[in-house]
Amino acid sequence: MASEVTYNEQELVYLLKERNNQAFSYLYDNYSGALYTIILQIVKESELANDVLQEVFVNIWRKIESYDASKGRLFTWMLNIARNASIDTIRSKSFQNAQKNQELADNVNTSMVNQVTQLNVDNIGLKKVLLKLKPEIRSLVELAYFKGYTHEEIAQIEGIPVGTVKTRIRSGLLQLREYLK
Amino acid sequence: MNVQEYISSGIVESCVLGLASADEQLEFERMCATSPEVNAAREAFELSLEKQAKEQAIAPPAILKNKIFNEIGIADTDGKKTAPVSTVIKAPVVKMGWLRYVAAAAILLLMGSTALNLYFYKQYQKYSSQYDALVASQTQMAYDNKALQTKLQGYESAMGHIKDPGMAVIKMPAVAKSPDPASMATVYWDTKSKDVYLMVNNLPQPVSDKQYQLWAIVDGKPVDAGVLDMQEGMTFAKMKNIPKAQAFAITLEKHGGSDIPTMSAMYVLGKV
Repeated sequence: MASEVTYNEQELVYLLKERNNQAFSYLYDNYSGALYTIILQIVKESELANDVLQEVFVNIWRKIESYDASKGRLFTWMLNIARNASIDTIRSKSFQNAQKNQELADNVNTSMVNQVTQLNVDNIGLKKVLLKLKPEIRSLVELAYFKGYTHEEIAQIEGIPVGTVKTRIRSGLLQLREYLK
Repeated sequence: MNVQEYISSGIVESCVLGLASADEQLEFERMCATSPEVNAAREAFELSLEKQAKEQAIAPPAILKNKIFNEIGIADTDGKKTAPVSTVIKAPVVKMGWLRYVAAAAILLLMGSTALNLYFYKQYQKYSSQYDALVASQTQMAYDNKALQTKLQGYESAMGHIKDPGMAVIKMPAVAKSPDPASMATVYWDTKSKDVYLMVNNLPQPVSDKQYQLWAIVDGKPVDAGVLDMQEGMTFAKMKNIPKAQAFAITLEKHGGSDIPTMSAMYVLGKV
């Protein structure tokens, strides 16, 4: 068997910018799962998540030139692309219309399969770590990170001052840092 | 706000996760660039986030990879296979420092090799053109040689005829009214085959639309014995077969010869 090639981040970025297919394949094999998970946690439907993941990797391939290593790790860059693409998707009109229909359908016939998938997704990764936070803090972080709401929007939804939203999210993120260590 | 306060404000995590405002993001980038501590805090959080995300990941459907690669327009090569290109690039950067020197040496060798290649290519071009010139001159020489051979064969055959004991030699000196009093030609007449050969001893080069014509005088009448082509430098030419003649003469006629000789343009005459 061929031994598995591993790249350090520098090499990987270099090769990606050189449009190296093998490096891209490596990138996909090593990061598609992590990105797919975050996408699933935001869009919550596997069909849609497939489309978003495809869009994300196409964008990574096309925009790798603009990645600046001095501003952060490659994964962080990709994670933000994945999160933004997912949030754009759930914010789109077509998605929201579909959601309404889904809610109607769910009222009539609750899909067990969907629930199982969602449980799975909520119990891993970042979401799992967030479970350790106090509920009043966790809900704000989730609204900000998984729904893409601005602090102002969250303040409206929750009926609390913007300053409080910001303070609570910041403290939640600091705790998150400790839990991730 | 000092650096420690900045780090423990949660701004680092907020920026990494993309939750900060544009202004905060800009300030954060500035802080990272100027403060190694902020930069270290950022990297530590990024790493732990990445680790967590990779540890518990749901793999996307296998078919998706191919779909994505197709859209991008590249082949789905297996990233796990040993790739010669990537290992070459990879090795010097990471673990083994001495490979840097090997790589440097390899690059130097490559440059040297490239230079030599260029040099040899120039040499090759030079010799190639010299070779072409040699081939051309060789061809020219072979052609000249062939021409000489042909000429020599002509002389040999002429000599053969002249030496033939059965050959009658009829000298034709200039006639009294010859345009050129120094004219002289000789007819060699094979008494057996009756073939006639003409040797020009001295005749002025005719103008281009004129030709010397040999006449055999048979029973007082001139009979065409052929025209002489002096342009090719032939000094010994086979003429027409003449079975019977009392004399031979040469006149200058229009190109291709005439039916009747122009008496005023008679140069030489010789009796058999």
